[in-house]
Amino acid sequence: MLQLNPQTAKKLQRFRRIRRGYYSFLILAGLLVTLAFGELLVNSRALVVSYEGNLYFPTYTDFHPGTDFGLDYAYETNYRQLKKQFAAEGNDNWVLLPPVPYNPYENHAPGGTFRPLPPTAETQHYLGTDTTSRDILARLFYGTRIALVFAFAFTASVYVIGITIGCAMGYFGGVFDLVFQRLIEIWSNVPFLYMVIIIFSVIPSNIAVITRISILLLVMVLFSWTGMTYYMRTETYKEKSRDYIASARIIGASNARIIFRHIMPNVLSTLITFMPFTIVAAISAVTALDFLGFGLPAPTPSLGELLKQGTANLRTAPWIVIAAFGTLVILLTLVTFIGEAIRESFDPKTHAVYR
Amino acid sequence: MTTPLLEVRGLEMHFPVKEGLLLRSRIFNRAVDGVSLQIKPGETLGLVGESGCGKSTLGRCIARLYQPTAGSIVFNGRDITRLKPRELRPLRQDIQMVFQDPMESLNARHTVGDILEEPFIVQRLHSPAERRQRVAELLNIVGLPARSASRYPFEFSGGQRQRIGIARAIALNPKLIICDEPVSALDVSIQSQILNLLIELQQEFGLSYLFIAHDLAVVKHVSDRVAVMYLGKIIETADSDTIYRAARHPYTKSLIEAIPVPDPHRKISRQVLSGDVPSPINPPHGCAFHPRCPEAQDQCRQKAPTLQALSEGHWGSCHLIYPPV
Repeated sequence: MLQLNPQTAKKLQRFRRIRRGYYSFLILAGLLVTLAFGELLVNSRALVVSYEGNLYFPTYTDFHPGTDFGLDYAYETNYRQLKKQFAAEGNDNWVLLPPVPYNPYENHAPGGTFRPLPPTAETQHYLGTDTTSRDILARLFYGTRIALVFAFAFTASVYVIGITIGCAMGYFGGVFDLVFQRLIEIWSNVPFLYMVIIIFSVIPSNIAVITRISILLLVMVLFSWTGMTYYMRTETYKEKSRDYIASARIIGASNARIIFRHIMPNVLSTLITFMPFTIVAAISAVTALDFLGFGLPAPTPSLGELLKQGTANLRTAPWIVIAAFGTLVILLTLVTFIGEAIRESFDPKTHAVYR
Repeated sequence: MTTPLLEVRGLEMHFPVKEGLLLRSRIFNRAVDGVSLQIKPGETLGLVGESGCGKSTLGRCIARLYQPTAGSIVFNGRDITRLKPRELRPLRQDIQMVFQDPMESLNARHTVGDILEEPFIVQRLHSPAERRQRVAELLNIVGLPARSASRYPFEFSGGQRQRIGIARAIALNPKLIICDEPVSALDVSIQSQILNLLIELQQEFGLSYLFIAHDLAVVKHVSDRVAVMYLGKIIETADSDTIYRAARHPYTKSLIEAIPVPDPHRKISRQVLSGDVPSPINPPHGCAFHPRCPEAQDQCRQKAPTLQALSEGHWGSCHLIYPPV
């Protein structure tokens, strides 16, 4: 069972008392759960199909060709059409569609031409469609999901690298510290945007989208871990010279044990305080890169790409920019509120562990 | 004569003072500068001196928290001066340490049970069930209730915390405990309780202590022998009665006169020491004490004195007190 240190319990209690941050946290947590099961809410595949007495749940399974439901094509069933058809036939077959029956990649242009359509409940495009007639709500939904997953992966990687190297620099000190400090100074002066542009102009365009996303993540992590080392290095230096570390050494504890059992838990509050702000930075960075066209490769749904479309069609289709901008503002505000509340509740000045 | 448990010879700990582009050190802080001492089994050696005289550094060198720059430390007949961390681990069972400020020396994020269990985990002793039992025994020995194990250090008073620190120090059945000002951070009323606990433990387990303090009154209570340190060197050592009755070195004399005596009619003729301990980075020429010594003469400014026998078991380091050749 997880037993919380009373100090930690107190901090959490205080976090809960900061209403703005706590409710932001609850909303964001709810949003994350919703996004995780997004396929059930925003999807062109039906939730349930009842066809000739059999029930089908196509959401998470392999695709069902049209022939499965008595249609005359072998590509994936168009469930919206299927629903209309079943309704017209009037027998026992039925289709239950998700609330938003579109996926972020399909071009839904009933008239045949791709053009942005304003929000309407009639066709269930609740936020309208974009310039290539894709549902904006679906693209926002999955774009946010990708941005958040990306931001969490980014933060985790940056922390692992930054903490390991920063901790080692502070703990071992001496020449190791000196060499790494100089390397970090040089490395952090390499211009990041240039590197992204160069790398993405070099890698072939035919490689898989997921590989390109991974490369982007890798490049961003490689140029971002240095900031974390500064904090970790000084914190470790500070903790290392305290008597509780000496008393761990005197009983014969190994370096690994001292770092992981003694130093890490004591510098953790600093790290947790930084985390939401790192996530905000990651979301902003990946959105900005998308906006510039160097981010997530097309046709990946992304906030930045929508913003770009929106600003290009500001007069003809203002709903695009409003939707994208609104989502971004809400998302960043939520995370920032959480970050503020964490910082306040973990503030060592109001909450000294030691005298 | 019994063989000493600990024998330190000519120990030096010179910390490099780093400066310059490549952090090359040309200047050293001579925190400990040629110290020799012995501790016999079951004996307590009191080590006194002002703040910054190197007594804590000496203690930490002996506990091998620092790697001394010169000299040798022989423990139980074995030279431990240059042991590597891996070779040191089994030795850790024999030499333990009690720190000055228990709030600093106990990890606030661990429960008392975790803290007391850690020595056994690190040394790979006992099964988990035995360990918990040992923790309960230790708490009992130092006079704390067994339920303390699930609580955190900050829930205890200063004296109780120091009991936890002592319990950790005796967990591995050590032979020598270095007490680095174990009572200086405590209220006077608590100090004697802790000192008595240390004395009881010594009698029960046959421990030897290196008892570091800046307060001669405290040292008097616990020590068999006393060594007085000044600026990285031992300047006088004798058994504790002799130090208090017949101190010879001017520095020791002024320290003893500084002990408060509860007697309002006592005539006040103290030699009050002026100034601070000089910097160990740039010590004075000759005798390190001469700038503050009321009896300083020309030879004190020119030649550094060495530790010489004054009588049986009484050694001093001052030109003015050497017996005539």
